[in-house]
Amino acid sequence: MASSDIRTTFQSFRDDIDAYNDRRERLIKASRDITNLSKKTIFLLHRLVLENAESLDDREVYLAAAKKGYEKLREVQNAYAGLRAELEADMFWRYERQVSPGLQEYIEALSFAWYLEHGSLIPFSEVQKSISDSDGKAYFPLTVADYLLGLSDLTGELMRFAISGLSRKGGRKKAMEVCAFVRTCKADFDRFTPFIYELRKKQSVTTQSLEKIEDTVYAICVRSSEYDLPPEMLDDIVGSISQSSRSKRGDEDEE
Amino acid sequence: MDPSELDQINAFLEGDSELREKIKDQVNEFDKKARKMVGLLNRIHFTPTDALPALLESVKPILNDCQAVIKALADSVPPNQFWRWKDMWSNSLRTAVFAAVLVEYLSSGQLASLQQVSEQLGMKEEWKDRVTLTVEDYLQGVISVVNELSRLAVNSVTLGNFDQPIKISAFVKDLFVGFSMLNLKNDTLRRRFDSLKYDMKKIEEVVYDVSLRKLTSVPTLTST
Repeated sequence: MASSDIRTTFQSFRDDIDAYNDRRERLIKASRDITNLSKKTIFLLHRLVLENAESLDDREVYLAAAKKGYEKLREVQNAYAGLRAELEADMFWRYERQVSPGLQEYIEALSFAWYLEHGSLIPFSEVQKSISDSDGKAYFPLTVADYLLGLSDLTGELMRFAISGLSRKGGRKKAMEVCAFVRTCKADFDRFTPFIYELRKKQSVTTQSLEKIEDTVYAICVRSSEYDLPPEMLDDIVGSISQSSRSKRGDEDEE
Repeated sequence: MDPSELDQINAFLEGDSELREKIKDQVNEFDKKARKMVGLLNRIHFTPTDALPALLESVKPILNDCQAVIKALADSVPPNQFWRWKDMWSNSLRTAVFAAVLVEYLSSGQLASLQQVSEQLGMKEEWKDRVTLTVEDYLQGVISVVNELSRLAVNSVTLGNFDQPIKISAFVKDLFVGFSMLNLKNDTLRRRFDSLKYDMKKIEEVVYDVSLRKLTSVPTLTST
């Protein structure tokens, strides 16, 4: 190659490298937006299950919350639809590292909403379906690693959900359910840790969350054993006391 | 998780790890060939100019052998997953590029283009979603050639070939101009590009020495 050819060749290399860097930047930004939206959805879900308080039945509260969560996550799904062209064919694996963080956060939010609706883990196929068009064609392939890593973060949210929900009616029973659920999750994921490096780190966070829930459940059991009453009745007693103290405080404020 | 889902995921992950093992074996083969070529090419530093063509000829069959390994890789990698696995073999591939480019330069004095190298290694257009020669891998190989040539500039003088450093200097300068045109971010390619200036400096010093002492037959600025 003569000197002038070298120059033209490197010019095309420059275009290639620039195109890669630009696309990479775009995907990092998009992924950051997706992370933010997903985080907001998670907060929204936590708020909704606590807010829509005592009057309604638990089931209804959770279903309504899940529905709102899904609605919010549609923004994320639309964002992924927009990224489709950027991640076509072999491009997905080239930019997988840029896409992964947002995707995992999205899966965490989606699986939380799913848990509220179904009380179970969202299956792989459902996650993939959520990022596919109406003909069922995927915007990009979902990896098992992202799926598992997203789910692994769910356990932390469930811990928060269980503990902050304790003061609600039926909160104690719920905490025990969540405890059992997170325990199965941890056991299930343990099987996959040899294959996915990051999962090992996340498992230790899951273990911590699990311990927090277990300690809470322990406290519930120990205390309720002191009273020979069914749990619903305990709920009512505690509920009426906190209710009356609240109204009392309300009176004081008015004075 | 539902037990069938659990088994499915497990089977999938096992499949992935088997594939990884398979590719690893193929990469080992590739690596052996690459090392063999590097071993042979080390001899350029103490092979007299007239014996050089024979040495370069002995590298070519190994370069050709790489085609089989690369084909095996292309057969193993699932469609569209080139970027998922490429890191496993990029070292070997860059070494092969280094060998191809160096042999071409020492034979013809020309830079082998990406296209040329990729053909020499038997890369096929229809595999490009599974195995291909990327700009980055090619450029990494080219930089290794420059590193090697700065050493050759010194050693060729020892062997009595005083024109070689002058030719190398012109070639490396052209390449440097090319590399300077790229917008590199802070990655390995950038760091390696930064190292090129030391090679240039080393080559220039040799050119300076041979020119001042009028050892070269090639007309240069200092000898005119």
